[in-house]
Amino acid sequence: MSHQLPAILFLLPLFAAISMPVVCLKHRHWSYPISVATLAVMVLVSILNLQNVIHHGEVRYVFSGWTVPLGIEWVADGLASVILVLLSALGLLGVVFTGSTSPKDLGGRIVHYYTLILLLVSALTGIVFAGDLFNLFVFLEVAAISSYALIGVAGGRALFAAFRYLVLGTLGASLYLLGVSYLYAVTGTLNMSDMVDKLPFLLSSKALVGGLIFMFIGLAIKMALVPFHSWLPEAYTYAPESISPILASLVTKVALLAWFRIIYWVFNASIVINDIPILLLVAALGTLATVIGASLALAQRDLKMMFAYGGISHIGIILIGIGQGNQTGFAGGVFYLLNDAVMQAGLFFFAGVAFCQYGVRTIDDLGRVGKQAPWLTGSLIVMALGMVGLPPTGGFFGKWYIILGALEAGNYVSVAAVLLSTLLTLAYFVKLFECIFRQSSTQLDVQSGGIPFPFKLTLGVTTAAIIILGLFSGPIVQLLLDHALPPGL
Amino acid sequence: MIRPHDSIIVQTLGRFVIPVVQIFGLYVLFFGQYGPGGGFVGGVILGAGMILSVLIFGHDASRSQYARNVLHGDGVGMLIYAGVGGLCMIGGGEFLNYANLDIPGLETASRRSLGIVLTQIGVAVDVAVTAVSIVFSLSAEEIMEDSING
Repeated sequence: MSHQLPAILFLLPLFAAISMPVVCLKHRHWSYPISVATLAVMVLVSILNLQNVIHHGEVRYVFSGWTVPLGIEWVADGLASVILVLLSALGLLGVVFTGSTSPKDLGGRIVHYYTLILLLVSALTGIVFAGDLFNLFVFLEVAAISSYALIGVAGGRALFAAFRYLVLGTLGASLYLLGVSYLYAVTGTLNMSDMVDKLPFLLSSKALVGGLIFMFIGLAIKMALVPFHSWLPEAYTYAPESISPILASLVTKVALLAWFRIIYWVFNASIVINDIPILLLVAALGTLATVIGASLALAQRDLKMMFAYGGISHIGIILIGIGQGNQTGFAGGVFYLLNDAVMQAGLFFFAGVAFCQYGVRTIDDLGRVGKQAPWLTGSLIVMALGMVGLPPTGGFFGKWYIILGALEAGNYVSVAAVLLSTLLTLAYFVKLFECIFRQSSTQLDVQSGGIPFPFKLTLGVTTAAIIILGLFSGPIVQLLLDHALPPGL
Repeated sequence: MIRPHDSIIVQTLGRFVIPVVQIFGLYVLFFGQYGPGGGFVGGVILGAGMILSVLIFGHDASRSQYARNVLHGDGVGMLIYAGVGGLCMIGGGEFLNYANLDIPGLETASRRSLGIVLTQIGVAVDVAVTAVSIVFSLSAEEIMEDSING
């Protein structure tokens, strides 16, 4: 049974998504409990899968029994299994959160709304597990199409933001596909493990270099790396409150995961093309992204916009860790990815609660939260500690390992960039807290009442998770070092 | 909203052509086992037949009843597909490994043949529903305006 787990993990949300329109035809309010139950089961299965992978090694699952170069392969190695636990847990929290905030005027279309969320989760699972380059593209597209629709649900400015995301996202997917076709033309295979055997003899090929660059640009648009990030802030800001946390915490991170799976697992990370080591290129772009993202975040007044730029700068930090080409940097990068996903989810949960309960959109309105909801402010403080990277939180240990990795590689510019972005992050959170605690804040009487239970639950869990990830950083990083490292690192 | 076509020639021809189109669609769907054809093409032809009936007899006509009902089957095709795959998993094989379909009295080759027919039916249903729903959403002007203004 245990060898079926990777397929079950993918099929569970997919099955629920496609049966939703039929099951909920007459009872549209069933869609919420069904989604929550599905994702709760998925969390359990993903934990079982992680245990199985740790004890018995990686699982390779071939659909419909065709052998590898021909068949479609699912690779559940340590890295994928760890990410899957994160993905399903955050998906569950996101859907629980959705219960109190989903747009009211959806009517019967609420069923399709949950269908799209489940479809998004299953597509992201597909990206994490995909063992061949073409299926990775298919799931990138499924995930992207569900996100466009979910962002557009809010109407108004969200439609414009979603359309812009659609144009850029499609461009990214097309470039990725073009890159895959170049690689296919050179190697004659799409399966990743099969390609590994064929690539070393072909490194001088220009088509290979072209394909790699196209794939990188395509995925860079998907992960919102800095020169290609312009779709992200507006899309996440104007998306419905309930959708931003899932999108912000998962979609860009999974695209990033796809990129370092290609660069480490398919290509050898140490390859040098035309005297340029490709990893250095990645680290350099990460350095730019982290500084520019944090500076832009400092300039924002809209709460969600600020958090979105914060996320862009953290993508850069993860890339710096991944790009060092040593074990410490890689484990630090992956560990920071876990933390960043949790923190982004928490921050957008906060923004959602602040808007739904207190009508807060910009940081100037935050004074209301400070007076009326001390617990909300408390959770924001914990998240801020995590984002800045102060000791008991996971953010600190992630940055610590990334800096250690950069020092090991002798890459002092990266160290400086991480420190600079930490300072800038501190600066924009100081700006935020200055608005919360300023006495002369505008007192608008918003009838808030009690905060609904789903809000408390999701905020509480993410806040606790930031601390727990910090306290257990040792075992988690050890786990990553033991099971999730790419071959030959 | 699509109104009935007012030409008597089109209406009369439609009555004869549409059933032929549907039967041809089913033929292509099942012939996919032995030659060119299969679920996608069969589904397109089935969908085209329903679209034709909507275009000729109008959205509200009793002859378009079938096409209107089909819209409720959003996920049914995928469900058939995934259901067959799930049965294979229950039978102990990989997802969509038809050799593991647990049907007594059938050899492996017949199981594979049956499995692929079932999944192709699922694909055909899904393609047909998608084709019809595209036509309906393009023709429903008032719903579109509501969603933009709201």
